[in-house]
Amino acid sequence: MPGRRVLITGAGSYIGSALARRLRQDPHVDHVAGLDMRPPADPLERETFIEADLRDPVISTLIPQEEVDTVVHNQIVRRPGPGMSTRTMHDINVIGTLQLLAACERSSSIRTIVIRGSAGIYGSEPQAPQFFREELARLYPLRTRFQRDVGEIENLFDTYARRHPHVVCTMLRYQPAIGPVLDTQVTRYLAAPVAPTYLGFDPRIQVVHEEDGLGALVAAVHRPVQGAVNVASPGTIGLSRMIRLVGRAPLPLAGPVFATATRALRRIGLPELSDDFMRLLRYGRAVDTTRLVHEIGYAPSYTTPSAVEEFAA
Amino acid sequence: MSGPERDAMLAAAAFMRVLREGLDTGLELPEALVRSTRVLPGSARRVLRRLDGRYTEDEWGFDEDFARAVEPLFDFLYDHWWRVHVSGMHNVPGHGRALLAGNHAGILPWDATMMSIAVLREHPLPRYPRFLVLDWAFELPWVSTAIRKVGGVVASPYNALRLLEDDELVAVFPEGVKGTGKPFSERYRLQRFGRGGFVELALRTGAPIVPVAVVGSEEIYPMLGQSSLAARVLRAPYFPLTPTFPWLGPLGAVPLPSKWRIEFCEPIPTAGYGAEAAEDRRLVLELSEQVRATIQQKIYENLVERRSAFV
Repeated sequence: MPGRRVLITGAGSYIGSALARRLRQDPHVDHVAGLDMRPPADPLERETFIEADLRDPVISTLIPQEEVDTVVHNQIVRRPGPGMSTRTMHDINVIGTLQLLAACERSSSIRTIVIRGSAGIYGSEPQAPQFFREELARLYPLRTRFQRDVGEIENLFDTYARRHPHVVCTMLRYQPAIGPVLDTQVTRYLAAPVAPTYLGFDPRIQVVHEEDGLGALVAAVHRPVQGAVNVASPGTIGLSRMIRLVGRAPLPLAGPVFATATRALRRIGLPELSDDFMRLLRYGRAVDTTRLVHEIGYAPSYTTPSAVEEFAA
Repeated sequence: MSGPERDAMLAAAAFMRVLREGLDTGLELPEALVRSTRVLPGSARRVLRRLDGRYTEDEWGFDEDFARAVEPLFDFLYDHWWRVHVSGMHNVPGHGRALLAGNHAGILPWDATMMSIAVLREHPLPRYPRFLVLDWAFELPWVSTAIRKVGGVVASPYNALRLLEDDELVAVFPEGVKGTGKPFSERYRLQRFGRGGFVELALRTGAPIVPVAVVGSEEIYPMLGQSSLAARVLRAPYFPLTPTFPWLGPLGAVPLPSKWRIEFCEPIPTAGYGAEAAEDRRLVLELSEQVRATIQQKIYENLVERRSAFV
């Protein structure tokens, strides 16, 4: 039996290049191709690297040439980078996914598509169930720009899955990631000297350790399942306990002035907080990981509290 | 100087001594501080541990340290303020899943709190019950945090199902907001039990239902009227007007010292019906009515036995 041929978008990112490295060492994988706008830092991967913009229609001729059976879509922007407008972020997320799926329509060899999406689609709501199961995605209106992006990506993917019943389409819904190497909104928040919190609120936070985030992605490539799957390190941690564990001081701010005050604090080096992140700091969110463990067959090696403890050490 | 004061002084002196010794032997200040907490009494050590985040919460956000720390207040209310009389504790299973279904009154969830304290203090195998709280409370600062730390969760069937599958003791109030929002003149008359959702949960998980009759909670905030305008402004399900609230401000939230009786009634087993029975509307409504009738009857019995409401 010939080995698998995998294409990874967003291959220049930390998790993208880590996934490529893992798959390259795998005896069942014959070929790994990476696609990104910027080349990866690791020179080993340049041989099969395609430098292209997902939003560019040219990818619908580039991708079929690779004759891959598996596509891992890892180019979803969770937080605008320096100098990136929310408009660009929306374009990369939604138009990028649209172009990628259009390219997949043209490629008859595809059997599996895995998207590294976001648990942000559930939102952060005071009345929410304490653990979101996969079927509870549309319980509340999508309130923020990023949530609407994720909602649109899931709609596009669902439509594709309906049109191609022979392709296994896995939507991984990631909780915010944390880890010693990663640079995410959570790690930036925890690295700042003070951590702004909502006065009187101490929500339950759930994260995914970078190792589990990568492990789940590898497991999903090997054993994809149809539909959405939550990815998180099990358990939750109170926001104030998380801040204290990493040795930072909470800065409680009253709800009505929170957005203005944190914007002012950016001048003294506090990170920018997205709308989603602010709602997370107020109401928190946790997901149920039964499907990840029992259907994809990945048992996370960290719990959320132990991931935070390791980050603090 | 009295005993406790002297102990506190001695502890402080010992703390300073060990701290100085630590610094003299060349330790950095933070390490020396941590080392010298050893001589402090347990309570101070706990406080310091909390400042470092070294305490545990379960995945629901239940924080046992916190629950223990607020217990003296609840104990005072239980023993002296409301003089709670409890009966039928042998009807509460000591382990495994079970659903406590009680009548609801009194605006703030004091009835759930007193039920929890009763189980903790009077049961031979005490455990912290988890209770479902009207979701509106989770939008409020401080209240939301405190409720989650003592074991409250949002009243959602998904939460109840998961808690029961984890073999917890779960307290529900099937009347919901209809129970707490009724005027004083309708006290102790049970409201409609929704669509029997709590019975469906019990059937699906095979958990026995223990009806609980609470007498006394209706007098703590006698509601004379409601302000629909204030409720709309605050986006609250209702805005109560009692003899003390909102006229006395936060003091109006102090409950009146009525006399309480809590009776745990004989459990209704549901495991025999099987999980599919949760879709049998007739059975669900029958069981729901059975629970309601049991609670209503026990309320009347306990009202008679209580004799007077306050003394």
